Amino acid sequence: MDTEKVIKLEHVTKRFPVGEGEFTALNDINLEFAKGEFAGLVGPSGSGKTTLLNIIGSLDSPTEGKANIMGRNISELTHKESAHLRNIHIGFIFQVFNLLPVYTVYENVEFALLLQKKTASERKKAVMEALEWVGLTSMANKKPAKLSGGEGQRVAIARAMVKRPDILLADEPTANLDAKNAHAVLKTMKDLNKELKTTFLFSTHDEKVMAYLDRIVHLEDGSVKEDEIITHQNTEL
Amino acid sequence: MKLAFQIAYKNLMGAGLRTWLNVAVLSFAFVMIIFFNGLMDGWNQEASRDSIAWEYGQGQLLHENYDPYDPFSLEEGHGVLPSAIANEFESILIQQGSIYPDGRMLSVQLKGINLDQNTLKIPTPILKNSEADIPVLIGKRMAETTKLKEGDEVLLRWRDINGTFDAANLTIAGVFDSNVGTIDNGQLWMPLKKLQSMTGLDNQVTLGIAKKESNYAAIGGWKFQSKETLLKNLSDIIATKKISSSIFYLMLLAISLLALFDTQVLSIFRRQKEIGTFIALGMTRQQVVGLFTVEGSMYSLFAIVLGAAYGTPMLWLLAKTGIPIPAASQDAGVAISDTMYPVYGFGLIAITILLIIIAATIVSFLPATKIAKLNPVNALKGKIQ
Repeated sequence: MDTEKVIKLEHVTKRFPVGEGEFTALNDINLEFAKGEFAGLVGPSGSGKTTLLNIIGSLDSPTEGKANIMGRNISELTHKESAHLRNIHIGFIFQVFNLLPVYTVYENVEFALLLQKKTASERKKAVMEALEWVGLTSMANKKPAKLSGGEGQRVAIARAMVKRPDILLADEPTANLDAKNAHAVLKTMKDLNKELKTTFLFSTHDEKVMAYLDRIVHLEDGSVKEDEIITHQNTEL
Repeated sequence: MKLAFQIAYKNLMGAGLRTWLNVAVLSFAFVMIIFFNGLMDGWNQEASRDSIAWEYGQGQLLHENYDPYDPFSLEEGHGVLPSAIANEFESILIQQGSIYPDGRMLSVQLKGINLDQNTLKIPTPILKNSEADIPVLIGKRMAETTKLKEGDEVLLRWRDINGTFDAANLTIAGVFDSNVGTIDNGQLWMPLKKLQSMTGLDNQVTLGIAKKESNYAAIGGWKFQSKETLLKNLSDIIATKKISSSIFYLMLLAISLLALFDTQVLSIFRRQKEIGTFIALGMTRQQVVGLFTVEGSMYSLFAIVLGAAYGTPMLWLLAKTGIPIPAASQDAGVAISDTMYPVYGFGLIAITILLIIIAATIVSFLPATKIAKLNPVNALKGKIQ
């Protein structure tokens, strides 16, 4: 495992205003994730998993503490720098896929590369490669509405991976999938993790996901309860 | 920007009927704006052309005591045109008189004009060929008012230079048809020499119509009014008419822009997760604002293309066949023909296109500014209020 730290969280606290008071969603989180980790934030609803994922994805910033992503303190980034960080270094996979409905599978995957201003031939090569990773080259011209749940999530993986990000954040990626599709999707991600050395960080309370993780960070009431390294008996995982 | 256009195009095409309803309404406003303005411009051009041809010529040299708006000034408002420039003007003598058609008294202006003139379209050869003692030409409006027709005789009473009343029968030598009501209503056109001899005003004229375009400086005892000055009244009337007509199409435009605004607000509300996804994928908020604004602007581009598709043949046909104007409108104080031909200039079309694009962009930008303030996490959750 490469020891380069792509995510460094120091005393991260996040509070939200609620009425006249405040709700503490994250409380003094100290975590580090190295390049190539396949890790998960696990905990019940309201434990702060998604909030932490949003901060790591620079969609949100901590109220206190420092979140260094790819060596940049996200609290100090402008909107433009933050967008650049997400565009180049971070991929997202959402629970409900969030595919753009008017685009084809190909165009959905291509989108991030358009933002990176890649040439048409570079885009085509990368998109076809990404669709190959997830086994959807034959679906390239279909619209998201024509896909099954598993296929939709695989398109979302291809869209997140096509730009070969350093970090991939997946928020409950299997919540809307049946067991068969969930395993297929997780296997795809695990393979990509091995092949591309991308750091995968999940937010989940799905045991199917946990079975694939190499490291599980247990969150409870916004605090880290346990940081567990998993040794898999099953060599396939 | 290219990316914004690509994305906007896909989104609009993907939105299907919603897009085309907005585009249809906006394109209708676009076509109507061009049509109404074209109609007014056509009227303006035709009225100016007719006014020059029938009344103004290339300008008028008025006796300094003559005021076209004061009939009493006719008594003193005449003189002999300076010989140095006399050949450059068509002489007109105007005097007052009364006629008695069907026993009714009607005040008229007697207008003397040279029979060999070709500066104005008044058909003076008819007068020249008439054998009547006092032949006169009247316009169709005058003929309708007085129920006089070609060949009719009617009693005319006038005063000579000494103020003495005189009377004789005149003969209607012809009735002419002109779009210019101001040379028709209440006017009798007769040979200049005849009017001068009837009134004892030998060689006297009230005004001269310039035969050629020229800028005459002040001439002793005479004031020159250029063609442009004379046409200004007409242009002002048409400009006023244009403003009142514009209320109709501006309302139409406002309705279509309101529909567009509404669509944008709804679109931003419905597409919160998409907005959040755009930001998560690496777009800045300003880029997303730009994207939604471009989407709104593209409605106007589609509307222009659609409007051009059905508007071009329709407007072309109307410009060819013209729009019939009701007879009652002919009595308006300005030149107006029985068929109006719209004229669509490049400027009109270009300005209308710009107006539509700018207006659509503004109404699209206003709701899109909300995106600049939104929290992407809330957007992804669909929690924008």
